[in-house]
Amino acid sequence: MQIICISRGSHGYGSELAEKLSKIVGFSTISREQITDKATEYGIPVGKLEMQIVGRRPLSEEMSILADMYKAFSTAYTCERALKENIIYHGRTGHLTLPGLTNVLRIRAIAEQEYRIKLVMERLNITREKAKDFIFHIDEDIRKWANALYNSDLNDPSKYDLILNAANLSTENAARALASFVQLPEFQETAATNQALKDLLLSANCRLAIGSDDRSRGVKVGIQADKGNVSVTYMPRQFEEAKAIPDVLKSIEGIKTLVCTVATTNVLYMAEKFDPADERFLSLTEIAKKWNAAVEIVRIADENEEPPVSLLGAQLSTATSTNGETGGILDDSDSEGSGNEQGFGVTETVDQLIQIGLAGGSRTIYGGPDALLRSLSKTEQYSLVAVGDVFSMKGAAAQRMKREMLSKLKDKFRVPVIGTEDLKARYLFGPKQLFSMIGFAVLFALIYLAVFSFQEPILTFVSKGHFEGTLFEKTIAALGVLVSIPIVAFSIGGFYGNFLKMLKVE
Amino acid sequence: MPGILGEMFVQMTVPIALQIILLGFIGGILSGFIGSGGAFFMTPGMMNLGIMGPVAVASNITHKFGKAMVGSKKHGEMGNVDKKLAFFMLFTAFVGIRIAVEVMKALFNVQGSHGEGGGAAADLYISIIFAVILLFVAISMLADLIKSKSSEETGPSTRIVEFISKLKLHPLIYFPVADVYVSLWVILICGLATGYLAGTIGVGGFIGVPAMIYVFGVPAAVAAGSELYLAMWMGAWGALNYAFEGMVDIRCTLLLYGGSLLGIYIGAYGTKVVKESVIRLTTGLIILLCVLSRIVAIPAYLQMLGYTDMDASYNEYFNLASKSLLFVSGISGALIIMFFVQKAYFQRQKLEASLSLAETPSST
Repeated sequence: MQIICISRGSHGYGSELAEKLSKIVGFSTISREQITDKATEYGIPVGKLEMQIVGRRPLSEEMSILADMYKAFSTAYTCERALKENIIYHGRTGHLTLPGLTNVLRIRAIAEQEYRIKLVMERLNITREKAKDFIFHIDEDIRKWANALYNSDLNDPSKYDLILNAANLSTENAARALASFVQLPEFQETAATNQALKDLLLSANCRLAIGSDDRSRGVKVGIQADKGNVSVTYMPRQFEEAKAIPDVLKSIEGIKTLVCTVATTNVLYMAEKFDPADERFLSLTEIAKKWNAAVEIVRIADENEEPPVSLLGAQLSTATSTNGETGGILDDSDSEGSGNEQGFGVTETVDQLIQIGLAGGSRTIYGGPDALLRSLSKTEQYSLVAVGDVFSMKGAAAQRMKREMLSKLKDKFRVPVIGTEDLKARYLFGPKQLFSMIGFAVLFALIYLAVFSFQEPILTFVSKGHFEGTLFEKTIAALGVLVSIPIVAFSIGGFYGNFLKMLKVE
Repeated sequence: MPGILGEMFVQMTVPIALQIILLGFIGGILSGFIGSGGAFFMTPGMMNLGIMGPVAVASNITHKFGKAMVGSKKHGEMGNVDKKLAFFMLFTAFVGIRIAVEVMKALFNVQGSHGEGGGAAADLYISIIFAVILLFVAISMLADLIKSKSSEETGPSTRIVEFISKLKLHPLIYFPVADVYVSLWVILICGLATGYLAGTIGVGGFIGVPAMIYVFGVPAAVAAGSELYLAMWMGAWGALNYAFEGMVDIRCTLLLYGGSLLGIYIGAYGTKVVKESVIRLTTGLIILLCVLSRIVAIPAYLQMLGYTDMDASYNEYFNLASKSLLFVSGISGALIIMFFVQKAYFQRQKLEASLSLAETPSST
């Protein structure tokens, strides 16, 4: 089915637009308020969550689980409806609740400040100043909400397919334009988008089930579903409660396989091809074992690679050309959907990760690295992003392009991003680290030896300030301390860092 | 003893050196676990070993400089550092540190009526500030924990943020990483307080972090990262100032590093495997015991200054009691953390273990 998401502010014209559009195209509307009410009925205290976020209080573990539950509920509700009928969602963050679905038409409806002020003055019967203040605070609250739940800026135009301004376009005409726009092939349902929708629903349902069952209520989990294969990761400290997860999820329809992995954190591993026997992959798994991390695999399909027919649109965030008139192919075959991963080592690599207990899910992103940057969610918490071979078709430019990509990923995730070729040198213990450890140890020992062998002269020198030293002597003593401390800290820190790497207890 | 050793700086015996390394190690574990500096444990611990208060503070703030430099780099990589906010606070934090150094210098030279009280006035002053501030921190932390269990609201209150924002004290400065508007005047006052406490007891973070969260409305992760960045500069400035006054015992700083840089890894790992409520409870109790330990030491300083007629021979017992309390709190705290760390480690070993692969009946 087709989905239109209208992101609107308070007292704008988003709701009006949604209703008019609904009348023209015959889609059902879902509002944020509707979802909030349903979520509250379900038992999620949305009001409490809002107060917490709007009040800028840091989310406790309990509240962070509630936030996950609310997001899962919104996704599940929207997906369920979208699987049955065409829908128009209008609310604050509708464009963010269905990540990775490319056939969603994402609209931002904005209204001129003056228009909104007048509306608020009329509706609430308040003065102009109060109306302005009211709008400012509501917008602030919405911004905080989007930021806290989705780590997203609502004013970022790259998140939308269209931005409509009420000042330049009447609601009536905007609705008519949208009615035509939604007929474009890019916004049609395909078998693949349908599968992606089902996967989103499945992962959301799993999240809700875990959060609703007394046995697993307090477990903070990460969930990924890919064609019915569900991967759940949880923290080691919740090992006992998490034991109940397979049982809790038994009743959820649509699960083909379930993998539960204990993980303190997540590592994202992306490449064009994977090889479980590759030395760089082995380095990555060694690091993941040390960190108790789950490894999520993302295959970056080359930008020239056509998605398999059944997957057109799935996990696809670029306008990779689909078969024009049909708006994508309505081919239901290969619902298992693993054909596209064959020959790229994804299945073998995931199997290997499952065997060693480090599986964190897998997916393929079409459209090349640019699509990759748009598709990856900033809300995912990774400790490390490792990039394998990419741009293999670009020849000599590949290395430069990979460096640029690493830099962009670093800006996006704000965590260490590294090429897999550098993993060993940076995170594992090898000859280089051994030499470095010995070097630091020698420096560390020499400093100690020097200081403790010549305690009296050194302390006499550094205490010049207390014992009437000249200004020059005091300054030199102070600078001596200031310069020597970072050297000492880095040599001792360097020694311990490498020592712990050697013991694999990092 | 003639010369610098024994007169101003402690005579470094092997047992004292080992105890300083142990203090550093426990302080490092607590620091990694709590996310704030471990000076609240290390400074009084050093004073219990006979190191004069100002020297203990000076050596600790110097130690903090190098440690924060390493830590803030990691926080920076995670995008948790608001450098702009830290720099604004830094202006008055420097002034606060300088005031602290001047006060300390003046008190350091006060002699007691018994003649043997060199440094006792400064020790007393440090102990009182320490006890008052950390008692407030520990009680707030424990009260927050109890409140969050019984009430609907969780997390710190925003009443102060809301009150200050209503005052509209211009100019308001926008901090993009923390995503908040804060009055310049409020920042300058908080910077001054943070600097003064960092310079007086070496624990500016206990004021800086809550100020950022409760007064500025900064998210907790950014507050911790930014404070560490601020601590690096305050540590550098504090080290420079105290070193200029000749109060840094470089040997103590080195020995602290010997333990703390190892302990910090274990403590940081602990936060991943221990429940949030347990972290808060453990932290609150450890701080409370540290405060108690400092309060117990106060009668000895009062006696040295001639404010009480207590027999001087009792000083040893007060000092012993204070030291025991401190070590009991630190060691038990560290043991609790290490218990959870090893438990998690073996749990992981057991399960290559936790992998559970299940085929569900609904799969067909």
